[in-house]
Amino acid sequence: MSSSTTETGSVDVLMPQMGTSVFEGTVVAWLKQVGDEISAEETICEVSTDKIDTECPSPAAGTLVEIFVNEGETVEVGTVMARIASGDAAAEPPAVAAPGEQAAAAPAPATAAPASAPSTGTTPNGDGRRYSPLVKRIAAEHGIDLSGLDGSGRGGRVTKKDVLAAVENGPPKQPLLHSDSPYRPDPPAAQPAPSQAPGRASLGESLGGVAEPLTRIRQSIGGAMLDSQRTAATCHTIVECDMSRVEARRRELGLTALPLVARATIETLREFPQLNATLDGTTITRFERVHLGIAVSLGEEGLMVPVIHDAHELSAEGLGARIKELAKRARAKELGADDVRGASFTITNPGQFGALLATPVINQPQVGILDLEAVVKRPVVLSGPDGEDLIAIRPMVNLILGWDHRAMDGVYAASFLSALRAKLEAL
Amino acid sequence: MATLTYLEAISDGLREMLRDDERVFVMGEDVGAFGGAFKVTAGMVEEFGPERVRDTPIAESGIVGTAVGAAVAGLRPVCEMQFADFVACGFDQIVNVAGKMHYRLGLAVPIVVRLPSGGGFGGGPFHSQNPESWFMQAPGLKVVAPATPEDAKGALIAAIQDPNPVIYLEHKNLYRRIKGEVPEGIYETPWKARVAREGSDLTVVAYGQMVHTALAAAEQIDASIEVVDLRSLVPLDEEAILASVAKTSKALVLDEANQTCAAGAQVAALIADRGFEDLDGPVRRLATPDVPIPFSPPLEAAVLPGVEQVKEACLELLDY
Repeated sequence: MSSSTTETGSVDVLMPQMGTSVFEGTVVAWLKQVGDEISAEETICEVSTDKIDTECPSPAAGTLVEIFVNEGETVEVGTVMARIASGDAAAEPPAVAAPGEQAAAAPAPATAAPASAPSTGTTPNGDGRRYSPLVKRIAAEHGIDLSGLDGSGRGGRVTKKDVLAAVENGPPKQPLLHSDSPYRPDPPAAQPAPSQAPGRASLGESLGGVAEPLTRIRQSIGGAMLDSQRTAATCHTIVECDMSRVEARRRELGLTALPLVARATIETLREFPQLNATLDGTTITRFERVHLGIAVSLGEEGLMVPVIHDAHELSAEGLGARIKELAKRARAKELGADDVRGASFTITNPGQFGALLATPVINQPQVGILDLEAVVKRPVVLSGPDGEDLIAIRPMVNLILGWDHRAMDGVYAASFLSALRAKLEAL
Repeated sequence: MATLTYLEAISDGLREMLRDDERVFVMGEDVGAFGGAFKVTAGMVEEFGPERVRDTPIAESGIVGTAVGAAVAGLRPVCEMQFADFVACGFDQIVNVAGKMHYRLGLAVPIVVRLPSGGGFGGGPFHSQNPESWFMQAPGLKVVAPATPEDAKGALIAAIQDPNPVIYLEHKNLYRRIKGEVPEGIYETPWKARVAREGSDLTVVAYGQMVHTALAAAEQIDASIEVVDLRSLVPLDEEAILASVAKTSKALVLDEANQTCAAGAQVAALIADRGFEDLDGPVRRLATPDVPIPFSPPLEAAVLPGVEQVKEACLELLDY
């Protein structure tokens, strides 16, 4: 628990432990100010670690009486960030806690708000609406934000039909798995001060632009991408792959193509261990186990790369289920620090958006990234039974490997892709 | 296939079993020479003789007690209560003797107790009741309530062939009102629910006469209503109920019995317990209020669930 009760009926808010490898966190923003009433589990502040951003719930109901860590400040896990006078203590006359001198300062908010009445207006749903068990279940299964739906039931209630209609029309609201460049969740590189060049500012104004700071996640992605481009000798190799068998198999299993390609990639990585590796300066570490990163788009917000640990132990169906679950949690901002840590290879899959080619950036310190682009029906030349040439219509895809020339050479990358293609075409 | 009334179908099933199995016999008040109060056993004493179609004194406890003894001795008695209301006099023999015999002594008690039940014809407080839930709560009994002629025959045959005591509810208001095709010969209706009408927007769960009330209401509503006919109350076909609710997400449970602890209460509890995550509205019940059934036809019509009330409840739930 991120709290400890003190003798005076107040509760400390501590920097929470957000994963085994996390030792410190930064307060991004305080959502409550000194003097505010807060109920238990209500979000008191937003906290960021080098891996993940999260909301910090209040450990108790009461009044926020003191803040010790300013926004932007980084402190160790377990540090007292703020203090809450719990319900009972807040209701006491201020004289008990602070006889004499401080009576005018701190306790004022506590006496101003009688017995937590204002906080009872909050509802668990946040938007003040109630949903039937079925509607909640369907929304959870499809990642639908109910607060955005108009209800056609009595009193504007969101009915089963409403939520099913939202599922039907879902795709725009439901971001697809995608990345063109995976997010490496490292601390952002030191940010240069916003440019004050007068020319730019005036141009912005004349076009009706509004200057605003990049979000934290964009800053993180940007830092990681620049770091990769500075560090790695990134090259790209492409093979074309006939996806007829994958398409047939995925329909059979009720999966998308991604888990099948992931399964084949894992098998191929085990034959090409130089790609299932990390490179740190002059030290390369090749892994036997495969921790597979999957790029997940969060829409305009950015993207994350949750990791399927020990992915080699999973079947295609198992990978499909894990990918779905991680993507859902990524979008719900429920990933823990351990969920985005330790990938040995990454797959990115922006094919749904129709692009045929891209040049993915390697997720440091890994040495390879596989990009699966759009599957498109194309005429291809095949060999007939007697060796004659035939033209056939086949679903084709470009398999693009971003690889680090410091760790291997082009022959290795091409051999990997050819082996992968052979597996996919013989699935 | 012959078209028979609900009453003729019951007679047909009884006659088939009397012909087929010499262990089967009928007993009850005026079932012999008079042919039964509702003429279910008309002509049977002539065909099967007074040994197998036995008139009894007006003593329901004696009728059921005798049947239990005969069943333990290897016969297959079918008892008729003249009106279901009168079964109260035989209650102890049913719940304490027949229902517990197998548990206590390992002896089968293959008796059938026929209960002409239900109201809707000005029968008043002693001739209109639906006492099924009295027996649903007593372990060791089966309780069935067919709604159609085909099921009335098949369920009676299945009840006679069942090794357990079976309370067989036949709705008096269906006797001559409802006709339908009935297969010839011997067949058994399973102790499973039946989808009487397919739909996707709302499930109405009913049994007995209320199935017909629900079907009539569904006809008049501009929505896709599913009607589930339970047919058997014990055992209760839980999976069929839940499957229908999973499809429609809304449920109205209909009882002609007084509402407290009625069969529908069990169904509603089941849906709330195991169907919670499929629900898109409250589980609604419609039943007879906890009052005796009035003689006066307008008053009786006011307490028994009718087509209008069912329609109203459906529309409200659809609108929810």
